[in-house]
Amino acid sequence: MPEAGEALLEIEHVGKRFAALAALDDVSLSVAAGEIHGLLGENGAGKSTLCNIVFGVHQADAGAMRLGGLPYLPTGPADALRCGVAMVHQHFSLVPDLSVVDNLLLGQARGLLRRRAFAAKVVRLSEEFGLAVRPEARVHDLSVGERQRVEIVKCLMRRPRLLVLDEPTAVLLPAEIDGLLQVCDRVAASGCGIVLVTHKLAEIRRTAHRVTVLRFGRVVAQSSAPSVEIDRLVRAMVDRDISAAVRPTPVPHDAISATSHSPNALAAQASEVVLRVTRLGSRDADGVRRLDGVDFQVRRGEIVGIAGVEGNGQSELVAVLSGMSESDHGGFEVGGETMTNRPPKVLTAAGVGVVPEDRHREGCVPAMSLAHNLALGRLASYRKRFGLVDRAALMADARRRMQEFDIRAGHAESPFASLSGGNQQKAVLARELTLPGLRLLVAAQPTRGLDVGAVEAIYTHIRAAARAGVAVLLSSSEFDELLAVADRLLVMYRGRVMGECTAGTADRARIGAWMAGHAA
Amino acid sequence: MTAVASLRLAFAGRPALLLPIGSVVVALLCGLGLIVAVGVPLQDAIAAFADGAWGSAYSVGASLNRAVALALVGLGFIVAHRANLTNVGGEGQIAIGGMASTALCLYGGAATLPGPLAWIVPLGAATLAGGAWSAIAGVLKVRVGTNEVISTLLLSFIAVWMLYGSVQSTSLLRQPMTNSATLPESLEIPANTQVPALIDGLDMPLHSGAAVLLALAIIVTVLLQRSLFGLRLRAVGLNPMAARRAGMPIATTIVLAMFIAGAFAGLAGGFMLQGEQFALKARFPSGYGLDGLVVGLLARGSVKGVLASALLFGFLRSGGISMELSANVPSAIVLIIQGLVVLLLAGSAWWLERAVRH
Amino acid sequence: MDGGWLALTGLFAGSSIRLAMPMLYGALGELVSERAGVLNLSIEGMMLTGAFAGAMGSLATGQPLLGLVIAVAAVLPIALLQAWLSVTLHANQIVTGIGINILVLGGTTFAYRELLGNRSRVQIPGLDSWQPAGLADLPLIGPALFQQNALVYVALGAALAIALVLRYTALGLAIHAAGTEPTALDKSGGSVRRIRYGAVVFAGVMSALGGAFLSLGDIHTFTEGMTNGAGYLALVGVIFGNWRTGRTVLACLFFGAATALQFQLPALGVPAPTALLIMLPYVMALLAVAGLVGRQSPPPALTQAYLP
Repeated sequence: MPEAGEALLEIEHVGKRFAALAALDDVSLSVAAGEIHGLLGENGAGKSTLCNIVFGVHQADAGAMRLGGLPYLPTGPADALRCGVAMVHQHFSLVPDLSVVDNLLLGQARGLLRRRAFAAKVVRLSEEFGLAVRPEARVHDLSVGERQRVEIVKCLMRRPRLLVLDEPTAVLLPAEIDGLLQVCDRVAASGCGIVLVTHKLAEIRRTAHRVTVLRFGRVVAQSSAPSVEIDRLVRAMVDRDISAAVRPTPVPHDAISATSHSPNALAAQASEVVLRVTRLGSRDADGVRRLDGVDFQVRRGEIVGIAGVEGNGQSELVAVLSGMSESDHGGFEVGGETMTNRPPKVLTAAGVGVVPEDRHREGCVPAMSLAHNLALGRLASYRKRFGLVDRAALMADARRRMQEFDIRAGHAESPFASLSGGNQQKAVLARELTLPGLRLLVAAQPTRGLDVGAVEAIYTHIRAAARAGVAVLLSSSEFDELLAVADRLLVMYRGRVMGECTAGTADRARIGAWMAGHAA
Repeated sequence: MTAVASLRLAFAGRPALLLPIGSVVVALLCGLGLIVAVGVPLQDAIAAFADGAWGSAYSVGASLNRAVALALVGLGFIVAHRANLTNVGGEGQIAIGGMASTALCLYGGAATLPGPLAWIVPLGAATLAGGAWSAIAGVLKVRVGTNEVISTLLLSFIAVWMLYGSVQSTSLLRQPMTNSATLPESLEIPANTQVPALIDGLDMPLHSGAAVLLALAIIVTVLLQRSLFGLRLRAVGLNPMAARRAGMPIATTIVLAMFIAGAFAGLAGGFMLQGEQFALKARFPSGYGLDGLVVGLLARGSVKGVLASALLFGFLRSGGISMELSANVPSAIVLIIQGLVVLLLAGSAWWLERAVRH
Repeated sequence: MDGGWLALTGLFAGSSIRLAMPMLYGALGELVSERAGVLNLSIEGMMLTGAFAGAMGSLATGQPLLGLVIAVAAVLPIALLQAWLSVTLHANQIVTGIGINILVLGGTTFAYRELLGNRSRVQIPGLDSWQPAGLADLPLIGPALFQQNALVYVALGAALAIALVLRYTALGLAIHAAGTEPTALDKSGGSVRRIRYGAVVFAGVMSALGGAFLSLGDIHTFTEGMTNGAGYLALVGVIFGNWRTGRTVLACLFFGAATALQFQLPALGVPAPTALLIMLPYVMALLAVAGLVGRQSPPPALTQAYLP
């Protein structure tokens, strides 16, 4: 075990490619024993890939790693665990129908299971590090925060030398985050090195000893005094124009023009209500309440943004509004007609367009052609005699959309999957925006994982739609983008709207409080 | 699903010819090797095979009849498979079709119908019956989420035993028992309910089912490639969530797809009864459902593939029987070849997708 | 009179157990396989392999026990093939199962014809019955119920062992994880691949024993395709047993009883609707998968290839 302060993990010029995409390029960093090292970057920057390489899930194509001074080349998670490297994953890997004890025993026990003795050991360990867990509870009964604690205990039981936490704060509240950081402090104090992966710098600035910032698979900034240099680091992370070198220019945000006091917003006050949501409630498949009395309205030409920590009901709200999920009380109206629990077909006919959070799951059929995907939802309108499809008309419409929305593809018949992420999203947006009789556009995380050009295009089209009188509901975890585009902001916490304000009068402190569940 | 995985799917959707042809060739070579291994002179075996498969107008006709039945089952299979539904109940659906057809021909008054209706109506009944039987699996999938492989398999066993039971009892379909040696089968169906030969005069038992098959093949091709229903099948099969969001009638599509699969198999049963066998026997389906399934798998979604595979297995079967009779090669060799084809296809389909990825 | 009924009941119970055995072996093996996430439609083929290899082995060596060993040895390559196709190549598990069944049916028929010509129903040295002390001497029901051959007791012992392993050992936990949330197993350092391979091989061995029971234990001969759907019934047993060991055993015994009735009823002078009785297990399983007999809870990762 190296002395505190000695290099524990050294990553040297590591590179990784997936087909044509360079996920990582010449990444170097080091973590010392007892150090908390923050790994920062936006979605798609390569953080998860790097963690997976450290944990052995993937193997690097270039470069090398050293652990405790010796070459480190894990062939898989089992190998990494044996070397003393443990990882708390972003998407929890617990078996839902087993108890906490059983989940902790998985992979650790041999032969007969000694559940009671193990449970006692678990309780001792959790007290040592300040992690409250209930050994006998079944995992699917636990809250998200509790499940994460179980995952952490699972790692700590192996007394690792290096602990990697992949986006642990993404689903936690500010108070829970404090608890997590205290745990990190204690673990680091015991001599373990920690890699803390996140895209929210503000939350960990006080804990991390050193920080590395990734952007498009490359290291763009590093710091040994993160709390002092935080501005430089924020810019490095968020600046979309910067390539490899660090340029201290002010935050550009060119993609979104700062028209927060648009004439639309003021005029919208007087215009009709398109979407009226009244005490909307819903439960998930396990019976857990996800929406708890949501109330708000969206008017013609208005852009309303929904902000909040992910996992507070935003996804469920979009699911209910798009007809993919049922609500169990309350309801919503579109243009005065009740639309609660009506099937997607009825919603589309009523003029509701949806750009879903995960377009591959419900927004498109990747194996079908671009043209077919552009016509998804209105294929019946191309019907000829005998139930045949008017291909000529379908193709012509597709080509027109490609031009209007600048969707770059080989041709209209190319498989949808062959388009880049940005063009796919443009296509989905194009389809929804050209819905005949469009009254309401619901868009969830529309710019996630996209590059500058695509982001700019998406928001241009959304703003154009609003100007044309479409009511827009925008759910996004990119708070700064919301601030720049939306006329009004709603903050969701635990399935209800905690607070509302216009973008112009947004007070970050107040909004932060709402996000944490404190009514202002 | 990442873009890479979707690309995989896109390429797998277009059937590569190399794969099915390669699998068949390898399997056939193994079969030939096996013949040599057991000491049967290859020329004798091949001569016997050729004689049985296409040696006379009669054998050609018989082989083609078989191919027609297999192709019908295969066509139904690929329509359902388009929506990612796997119908393994062909055997049972054939049985249901055969029962419906027999019942109508003998006791349902079909013989009293004028002209071609005498044999068309029972065929229609066989089609509807087979479709309804298979639609049960579709309804179960939609309502309860039951895996259609399991449900069609169970329904198939039930139907086959229903057939067995129906020819055991004179109150059902069994012929009147004159003595204790009377076989458990139905009476022979009246001449006017039998499907007429395709070409009169030739000593070839090929029945008009061949013409019907060709017409249906064209219809299915158009259906899959150019119709709205075909697009819906594809969308539902590839991404049911997106299909739902797009407002497609998912439940109807699934049930209809299963209905079509069973209907085609039921029609095959009708042709088998009214075109070849003329009486319902206990072992009526005689493995055609399984063969049809293999045809469907081998075709990898293409109508031309179904026709080609059906021809292959139709002739393979006849040739195999003849090899057993004349050249002392057990006809089970055909089963070995079929099994190898299925396994080679299944194993290498993944390899194809993987090779495409890189 | 009462004595007569008791004897008949004993006979009936004994027959039910005997007839349930091949299904039970297959079902126990399939249970473990499915709990680990692999749907194994090739149980029928593996059973037939065991029946054939066991019979031929016993015939060749004159020793039924050696025949058993050969049966198990013969099924190993088949089981490994199924595992390789399903787990490593991620092939469609249903298609590979059916393919193996066809191949084995053809292969065993072909081999049988070649080895023994047209002499069907060759008598082969079979396994004798084994009586647990005292129980076989119970009046009336003793001889019928407890004069089973040793394989019956092995099956029941295996069922108990499986239930205990699944519940109380690390292996059982790993199997459960492989079939429910394979990612969890992988990220805990376990090997999904090894567990699934092992489960499929186990299913193969059990099926082979079940097949050998048919040819060596029960009928003492081999006929082509003699499993005649018993492998599919094993699958049905697992479905009806809702993937729990105890319930699966009961389901198989029930199916055995239905089969026994086919022979018992005519002996009593009652005209048996044979077809209905044969159909019964399938109808019951259909009702089960239709959700009409309580909620079905298959392992969530069943048939899903694990791609880390």
